[in-house]
Amino acid sequence: MNLRSIIWQELKSRPSAVIFNSLTILLGVAALVAIRHVTVHSEKEVSKQLSNLGANILVLPKDATLQNYYAADQNGGSLPEEHVAEIYLAGLSGVEQVSPRLNVATQVDEHAITVTGILPQSEVEALASWQATTMFMNTTDTGCCQRTNVVSAQQLASPQALIEHRAIQELDKNAIVVGADIAAKLGCKAADRVELFGEKFTVLGILPTTGTVDDGRVFAHLHEVQRLSESGATCNAIEIVGCCEDAAGSLVPQLQELLPNAKIVTISQVVQTQVGVNQLMAKTSWIVLAVMMVVGGAGLAGAISSNVQERRREIGTLMALGATPRYIQQLFLGKALLLGLAAGAIGCLLGVSAALIVGPAWAGVSVTPLVGTSLLAVLLATFVALVAAWWPARRAAQLDPCICFREV
Amino acid sequence: MIQLETIAKQYSGRGQKLTAFRCEALTIEDGEYVAIVGPSGSGKTTLLSMLGGMLSPSTGRVLVDDVSLYDQSVAARSAIRGQKMGFVFQSFNLIPYLSALQNVQVPLSFAKLSAEVQQQRATELLVDLGLSERLHHRPAELSVGQQQRVALARTLVNDPQIILADEPTGNLDPTSKEVVLKIFDECHQQGRTLVVVTHDPSVAERATRRLTLVDGNLVDSDEIETSTLRPASAA
Ligand SMILES: Nc1ncnc2c1ncn2[C@@H]1O[C@H](COP(=O)(O)OP(=O)(O)O)[C@@H](O)[C@H]1O
Ligand SMILES: [Mg+2]
Repeated sequence: MNLRSIIWQELKSRPSAVIFNSLTILLGVAALVAIRHVTVHSEKEVSKQLSNLGANILVLPKDATLQNYYAADQNGGSLPEEHVAEIYLAGLSGVEQVSPRLNVATQVDEHAITVTGILPQSEVEALASWQATTMFMNTTDTGCCQRTNVVSAQQLASPQALIEHRAIQELDKNAIVVGADIAAKLGCKAADRVELFGEKFTVLGILPTTGTVDDGRVFAHLHEVQRLSESGATCNAIEIVGCCEDAAGSLVPQLQELLPNAKIVTISQVVQTQVGVNQLMAKTSWIVLAVMMVVGGAGLAGAISSNVQERRREIGTLMALGATPRYIQQLFLGKALLLGLAAGAIGCLLGVSAALIVGPAWAGVSVTPLVGTSLLAVLLATFVALVAAWWPARRAAQLDPCICFREV
Repeated sequence: MIQLETIAKQYSGRGQKLTAFRCEALTIEDGEYVAIVGPSGSGKTTLLSMLGGMLSPSTGRVLVDDVSLYDQSVAARSAIRGQKMGFVFQSFNLIPYLSALQNVQVPLSFAKLSAEVQQQRATELLVDLGLSERLHHRPAELSVGQQQRVALARTLVNDPQIILADEPTGNLDPTSKEVVLKIFDECHQQGRTLVVVTHDPSVAERATRRLTLVDGNLVDSDEIETSTLRPASAA
């Protein structure tokens, strides 16, 4: 026998009390860990999306959410393709690149994939010069201090430009560019033939892994996708690259006036929304933390207090047998330590599991376990349990041993 | 040797003070077998608690082997109890979640003995008391008589010089009572000091000296010449 085995035997004798006493702390830790996991990963996701999203203005259908856009979801509604021409025709200064996108879901060899229709820049430019007699595009009169976003036709030549610059210079009607994940699933490489919507396409190139939704997409010519999916001359989004961030800002009201039935968002808005959500999550997790501290701690303090009360005669007996007050204090602190550790560890496991499931399902972010956060949560739970048990344990230690003679 | 010097113990509650025990001087020599008798509420338990270093008197001193108990720290008193004293309780006070063997090991664990030594000594004692088949039973799985024997093993496992018992036979049937009294007799023969609080005249008459308490006062202190057993030294 020693202190540890006495604590352990007592805990073992009443497993249900162990569960009830530490349930609040356990659930608090679980919630905290889950929220922190989703928040941290969602922040990472935002910065990843940002770095992958070259376009600084998005034109979306009125009812579409950013989530629809990121997820290449077709439920967000559609825009007429004419908007592309209208944007050029308006001759807005600072517009550097316009690329419409149409997402269609389909199956290839039983793999669900998203086909994204894009318009190669060569055709956008032809359309522009055919449509417009106005002076536009690449004018020096943009009001930009630095033309940070300007890219040349040469830079858009390879399929990789789809990732770096969100556009490609040339794309034949029977050619496709395949995202990394899809290429791996289908086992296809450049120059292979792949059947989409019952027609054969030649793989122009495979995109490198980006860690974004682009990995799960196949890019094809917009007009082919429109024809094969029978969606008419529409698209789901139009990405606009302004010549610089400043220009993008001033373009928004002009675009909104030009396209009153569309939703115009800038990347900074996207970021703000996401950052706002993240801040809310972060604040929520602090509230959860505070609630866990107060409610869980108070609950455990009450439980340990009544445990001391119930075991008064046992405490007196232990003292009669030679236990020091310090030993009695450690008896209860040790119990709280074990409860805190167990609640922390189990809560942590639950929280991480919840985040792994809920993160992708509800927040659209993939979650991996964060070791530091988890360890911190376990430590915190242990600390709360120790603080909660501190006073009851002290009171136990101050009991007069003569209570061992008291009958019930 | 236990000595009380001008002891008084008052309890204060509900605005009034109650003197539960007082005594000018009392000495219990090594090897004495003392019975404390008296009506309920007369202060027997209070006296026993003070002798055991468990309850500070309001005034006065308690000396055990010339050490003034209540001038020591609380921890030092715990150590003295662990080394010199063994307690016997009316309802045994076994720790419900520990087995018989584990209960008996508890006092040894305070003496910081190794697990093997603890186990060996506790097992020996329990086997001596006829509990070899019950080592791993919890108190709730034992009969009342068996529980009292486990409790006695726990009392004796540290080889205490002084045994303090409060109504040790109050909950026992005649057979179990006789077992306890036999063990007390043996302890007495071994030269240990016994102080036994009891209601039961048949228990009190085994002692060598009887202290009678009424309303917290020691009214009588008589040697019992008819005691069947005397310590070897006194024979
Ligand atoms: N903790 C206490 N607080 C107040 N009064 C007490 C306390 N313990 C005992 N008493 C009182 O002191 C007196 C003596 O009690 P006790 O020593 O338990 O008597 P006995 O053991 O002879 O029955 C009783 O009147 C009892 O009510
Ligand atoms: Mg009593």
